[in-house]
Amino acid sequence: MTFILRRFAFYLVAILITISFNFLIPRLMPGDPVDALFAGAQGRIPLETLQAYKEMLGFVDGPLWIQYLKYMKSIFTWDLGPTIMLFPLPVSELLSVKLPWTLGLAGMSTVICVMIGLIIGTFAAYNRDGLVDRFMPAFWAFVGAMPQPVTALFLFFVLALSWKWFPLSYGANPDLDPGWTVEYVSSVLHHAVLPILCMIIGGIGAWIFNMRNAMINVLGEDYITMARAKGLSNRRIMANYAARNALLPVVTAVSMQIGFVMAGAIFIETVFNYPGVGLLLFKALAARDYPTMQACFLMIVLFVLVFNFIADLLNLWLDPRLRK
Amino acid sequence: MHINQYFKFLRRFYRGNLAASIGSIIVATMILLSVFAGSIAENDPNKRVARGHQPPSAELLLGSTRSGKDVLSQVLHGGKISLLVAFSAAMITTVIAVAVGISAGYFGGRVDEILMSFTNIVLVFPQLPLLIIIAAFVGQVGPIVIALIIGLSSWAWGARVIRSQTMAIRNKEFIIAAEVMGESKLRIMFMEILPNLISIVVGGAIGTCIYALMAEAGLEFLGLGDPTIITWGTMLFWAQSNSAFIVGAWWDMVVPGTAIAIFGGGLALLNMSIDQLSNPKLKTGGYIKTWRRMKSDIEARRTEA
Repeated sequence: MTFILRRFAFYLVAILITISFNFLIPRLMPGDPVDALFAGAQGRIPLETLQAYKEMLGFVDGPLWIQYLKYMKSIFTWDLGPTIMLFPLPVSELLSVKLPWTLGLAGMSTVICVMIGLIIGTFAAYNRDGLVDRFMPAFWAFVGAMPQPVTALFLFFVLALSWKWFPLSYGANPDLDPGWTVEYVSSVLHHAVLPILCMIIGGIGAWIFNMRNAMINVLGEDYITMARAKGLSNRRIMANYAARNALLPVVTAVSMQIGFVMAGAIFIETVFNYPGVGLLLFKALAARDYPTMQACFLMIVLFVLVFNFIADLLNLWLDPRLRK
Repeated sequence: MHINQYFKFLRRFYRGNLAASIGSIIVATMILLSVFAGSIAENDPNKRVARGHQPPSAELLLGSTRSGKDVLSQVLHGGKISLLVAFSAAMITTVIAVAVGISAGYFGGRVDEILMSFTNIVLVFPQLPLLIIIAAFVGQVGPIVIALIIGLSSWAWGARVIRSQTMAIRNKEFIIAAEVMGESKLRIMFMEILPNLISIVVGGAIGTCIYALMAEAGLEFLGLGDPTIITWGTMLFWAQSNSAFIVGAWWDMVVPGTAIAIFGGGLALLNMSIDQLSNPKLKTGGYIKTWRRMKSDIEARRTEA
């Protein structure tokens, strides 16, 4: 229990730091922060409305700490103000439309990475110097070092543009009505294949390496020798004795990766014109829409922290020693 | 190190390790190509030398960009800046990671607690989105600023690894001996401990290099870099904003993309081999074979006897 509370407190501090960072950064920039924040809005937003929104975002006359408290309040009530590029649509509404798409991509790709990566890593470590061990880690190290935009662009060029196997853009066929119909769902899946493939290419290497390294350490333990002496089948030793114990450090090491996955989403969604938070951030960057940018950043950080917390809980479940 | 020892070490590093050899050849070639960019490429990368979007030909080996500039010359000259950014970011990161990691591991106690809670918080933040937001507020950032932001924000993982290794050797006899002899703390940290961590430090530096290469390309691809300076990232940016793929000018996009991919891949292979240097258990290939052969020889002899 103390473990959970301690981790929870840690993430709370991290969230507070993120919010403070979001609060401080426009104020640290040269020039008037309000002007910087609403630079793109001039002419598009009536002056009185602008004033009201500024106050909501904490840009009030008064000492910094009052501004800070106001800003905190607007964050915790999830009142993130209007977007500038699509005025007067609220940022929070826009985010809630975009978020499921990105969560879908990140979730699906993580699940696939876990399954395939752990199997390859386990297998490579157990059959040392076999073909898998010699070539798989090196291959994925090489491929995984490609920047995400490059991976996305190459897949886009070959599989979508030249061979026309997959659609060029959007999250689903825009002619279809959204709903739980077979047609729509299969269209969504079809559109998601390439973005998910990109994420897998970027992310699976970490699972393979960490699993392989952890397995190699575990395989030297005495209980593995014991299991062999008992005459257990190779498969049983590999899966139930070695892999299970190797999983522990892997979960911790790879939970750090989720930030990388979310960053990848920005480039991948941009290339495939996929309607998620990443593309929203890209469009906000292009339009210099600072409120939307900050909200996207906050969203990504929140997601990463939640994922890390889930990884902590998973560790707690896997490792009884943590339950004091 | 004596010169013979040096060669011995190199031989041991490369023997039976295909990944290390391929990685080193790629990295060395790319570095040489960009250092001698001026003498290899005939054309000025900033000058219009042909009509826009000319496909690769005998005259222009890698074709021309939309504004009629030589892609070959751009990718060579762009490499110079991209590599400089990656290397300098890695340098900054390594210096911070070593300083934080070794002092936390060596001093322990309060110092360790404070440094590590700070490190853990930095670690949990998604760095690339953070970079993007900072870059967006700073405005269009040049290569120097990009190297600085990457360098200052990505040291946390390295610091943690270095700290745990420092703690592992902190109570070894040679450290205690140095302390008893009255060596200064700074000397112990950097002359006694650091040399023992060198493979981890170098591995971490190469890892950061890969990350910095990716981050720079990403930032510039999103249009946050200074588009007037030619780097691999801005080449991608221009190709993307001119929809190179859609209009059929694939070389405009594929050339810088491949350059980044190959260089990053080469670094990754090198990094893998250095990991195996610091933890020989991770090795694969030739070594394991030799070990198996020796083991079966011994077993055969044992059954004979």
